[in-house]
Amino acid sequence: MSEEDSDYGDCSDDEMDDDDDDDVYGDYYKHEEVEMENKKDDPEYFEFQLLKVEDVDRLLNENVEALSRAINVTPSLAKVLLHSHKWSVQDVIDLHKKDSLKLLVDSRVLPSVKCTERVLSRNFICSVCMQPSLADALCGVSCGHRFCRECWQMHFQVQIQNGVSTELECMGKDCNVLMPEDFVLSIVTNPRLRDKYQEYGFQDHVKSHPELRFCPGPNCPVVIRAPVDKAKRVVCDQCKTCFCFHCGLEYHAPTGCETIKRWLTKCADDSETANYISAHTKDCPKCNVCIEKNGGCNHMQCAKCKHDFCWMCLGDWKNHGSEYYECSRYKENPNIANESAHAQAREALKKYLFYFERWENHAKSLKLEEQAMKKIRARIEEKVMDSSGTWIDWQYLLDSAMLLKKCRYTLQYTYPYAYYLEKGSRKELFEYQQATLEAEVENLSWKVERAEITDRGVRVG
Amino acid sequence: MSGGLPRRIIKETQRLQAEPVPGIVAIPDDSNARYFHVDVAGPKESPYEGGVFKLELFLPEEYPMSAPKVRFMTKIYHPNIDKLGRICLDILKDKWSPALQIRTVLLSIQALLSAPNPDDPLANDVAEQWKVNEAQAIEIAKQWTKRYAPSQPMPS
Repeated sequence: MSEEDSDYGDCSDDEMDDDDDDDVYGDYYKHEEVEMENKKDDPEYFEFQLLKVEDVDRLLNENVEALSRAINVTPSLAKVLLHSHKWSVQDVIDLHKKDSLKLLVDSRVLPSVKCTERVLSRNFICSVCMQPSLADALCGVSCGHRFCRECWQMHFQVQIQNGVSTELECMGKDCNVLMPEDFVLSIVTNPRLRDKYQEYGFQDHVKSHPELRFCPGPNCPVVIRAPVDKAKRVVCDQCKTCFCFHCGLEYHAPTGCETIKRWLTKCADDSETANYISAHTKDCPKCNVCIEKNGGCNHMQCAKCKHDFCWMCLGDWKNHGSEYYECSRYKENPNIANESAHAQAREALKKYLFYFERWENHAKSLKLEEQAMKKIRARIEEKVMDSSGTWIDWQYLLDSAMLLKKCRYTLQYTYPYAYYLEKGSRKELFEYQQATLEAEVENLSWKVERAEITDRGVRVG
Repeated sequence: MSGGLPRRIIKETQRLQAEPVPGIVAIPDDSNARYFHVDVAGPKESPYEGGVFKLELFLPEEYPMSAPKVRFMTKIYHPNIDKLGRICLDILKDKWSPALQIRTVLLSIQALLSAPNPDDPLANDVAEQWKVNEAQAIEIAKQWTKRYAPSQPMPS
């Protein structure tokens, strides 16, 4: 390990600097997008770094070496100790000072007291294969259990093929001592098996390290490092996956990690029941013409009769925009406790579908608005070429579209939260705020889709 | 590890015959030394008392690095044994250790018959019954033992 370049953050920075595109405007927009995603004054700002496998190796090895020097153990044992103590060198050193024997037993480096029975070979027979063996051909680790190399080799092979690496245990009866890396590698000779062992070990180590997370993107090798383990947004700049640092699921504020997991499982389970809503068309409530929604905005205007209505509840839009936005609030039957079980089940399904429909609808709107982004860029280009406004004049529209995307994303994730929220004043307040956001988002969406002017004096919303 | 039978399996088989476990008979198949026909007597003071249960036991290629595969052939009413005779026992899965033997496995199965564990069920309906009404569950287990596991072989 070389000392140069000890700051693992350097690599990702270097890469960013290399990104000098020749397409000036493309780069300009890209830059803008990054800014929107993670600004320090943004309440959702979260500090993190993207690491490559080599960076992570270096980081872990630095810890291993530091501990190995501090308490004078082999690097392999230091690895076992760190893996079972969330990679905190200081914690292990403190525990070692307090009671080193307890630390080693708790970390399964030494056998626990009850496991003193030694299956030492009578007449130098390996007790696993029952083959007679030379005394020095039998080997093992701290627990004193000794077996022949062939048996160890077979044991490791079977376990590694099952995906076990950091949890490899001794073959002795009731012995839970962990096999340190140097012992395993001294036995396993097959290069493919060695690679597998080290790969699984690496995965286990990243998972046990509180500051590290694998990017959940398909086949993405990136590891994210953040100083604090919080349910915050992380965006991988390799595969563009956006996820929650704490749980690895798609980013889900304001819903909590546990709740979103429940919600997503529920949605997967109930997908059949919810299927009917995936139909994309609805009829205009006034003239009954069939309408396909092709934009993100839920404020609809019938192309035929020009009636303004809400896509969600099919109510008149006039009652939506101005005063109190009611469409996001589920109205529970107040008398439900006295109804039959059948009616209660139906009510429960109705309630779920209400929230699911809104959740699903915002997801769809988000996709449609993503396409609209391309159209906006084309439109701006057209306008500028046409000399109506400058690039700078039109910049506001891109900013609004970006903001719209963020807001709608959050809005989508308010529905699982509201679904699981207990009835009461907290829920009422939450739904009031949700409704306000919903109204503003639809308003913004309507305006972004139809923006024709560069007049920056008019406030949107 | 193709070729001859590993010394370990030969040794274990010899010992099973020379010093059999009380209440358990394990005989290797004539054509396959890795396949055992096993008879386990229902333990005293258990609902299975008086019955004899047939099991099959197979030592896979990786044995003793992998656990033997064991299955009840006789129908049995037990929360940790399902309709197909599969057994929920930790040492047959993740708690397997190469230091364990055929003997220890069969002893553990015998112990499982004495102490059913409805909190870690394999047969959910049976486990449920065991929790809701233990007396009735034990009664059913006794009936099944009489019906499906008579100690005297049925005249054929």
